Amino acid sequence: MRVRLAVLAAAVVAYAVAAWAVAPGFYDGIAPPQPYRWVSPPPQFRNSNQQPQSGHQTVKVGATGKVDPASVFTQDGQAAIAFTTGAFVTPPDRSPVSIDLRPQVVFPDPGPTHLSTNVYCVSSSSPLAAGQQILVTLQYSDQLPAPADVYGYQGSGPWQKIGNTGTAAPFYISARSDTLGCFAAGYPANAAQTAQGPRVSGGQAVPIVVALAILVVVLAGIPLAVLRRRGAGDEDEEG
Amino acid sequence: MKGALALLAPVPVRAAGLTAVAVALEWARVLALRTPQWQALTLLAGGLALCLLGVGRRPAELGLGRSRLLERLIGGVALAGILLLPAAVRWGGGPALAPEFAVAAAAVSVGEEIAFRGVVFAALEQAYGPAVAIAGSSAAWTAAHALSHPLPFLPAVAAAGLLLGAWRWAMRDLVGPIVGHVIADLAL
Repeated sequence: MRVRLAVLAAAVVAYAVAAWAVAPGFYDGIAPPQPYRWVSPPPQFRNSNQQPQSGHQTVKVGATGKVDPASVFTQDGQAAIAFTTGAFVTPPDRSPVSIDLRPQVVFPDPGPTHLSTNVYCVSSSSPLAAGQQILVTLQYSDQLPAPADVYGYQGSGPWQKIGNTGTAAPFYISARSDTLGCFAAGYPANAAQTAQGPRVSGGQAVPIVVALAILVVVLAGIPLAVLRRRGAGDEDEEG
Repeated sequence: MKGALALLAPVPVRAAGLTAVAVALEWARVLALRTPQWQALTLLAGGLALCLLGVGRRPAELGLGRSRLLERLIGGVALAGILLLPAAVRWGGGPALAPEFAVAAAAVSVGEEIAFRGVVFAALEQAYGPAVAIAGSSAAWTAAHALSHPLPFLPAVAAAGLLLGAWRWAMRDLVGPIVGHVIADLAL
């Protein structure tokens, strides 16, 4: 048993060393996405950055005469829009509607908003129908503070907050928009600062879980081990 | 069926086959997740598929016996504490997991433990002994994460695999790794 415990202790030490080498450490449940591709990478990502990709799709007009529902993604999956049947005006010749998603290099000053993602512009060969919406979904980097909302602008601006429909998936943020245009995710630049940068959202579950784990082990595990040892001792004495 | 398979495939071949299937299931899940739709469902399906590898095996063979259950559960909590400690010490906040993803993440955690520390570990131990079982199941588990994790994360994943595999061998227990893995995934 001593050998087994020694192997286990060595594994604990090896894990602590390996996990300390990367932040946040062991990370498995929802795997971290591939590194975010920046148009203009923050300094820490400059060396390893790859350029973001655009997306294109043509959506046909269905038998009912309305443009079919679809989802359009950039090739790297960092931006997407989704829409329902008839979201776009049907072209007079019933030709397919062409939709593009492109990362933008130049965009209006977002002012008091800190952008956490690239800016992506959505364009189409046919306008969005009156009263219709698109669902804009943007990925953000797992290495930076999470954005609070999706922001957007049309033409030359200004930026406006569109909102946040709730987390569709970890490291993705979504919002519904009733116009096409350009979109990015971000948060107010005056958000609370921490040593690691602005903390906009996010749970504090990890330290609490670790504290609880230590409590459980101390309050239940150690007494249980002592009782077991005493029980074994009694059995030895009886034997 | 199981008997026929056992006759057809020698123990080392079976171990290699099970390892390859477990890794392939993980890779298939990761590739499917690259489409931003149905992510929770994909995770859930991936976890359940891994669990299916354990069908037809005796619980004790996988380390799932009921003896000393309270100790195993407390051991799992201790493993969770160890797995999360490096992150907790320098925690700066992070995205909270939506409920549907919490269920899916738990399914993946259980599936990975049953597949790698349960089925693959048992097959490798039967074929080559405990040292290869710990190292081999850890290597397979690391390979399974190669498509989903950036390269710098893989040593931590491998070390977590070694830790959970060492527990599986030292305590003859899979309940602890399952509990620890689920808690760690839900928290982080």
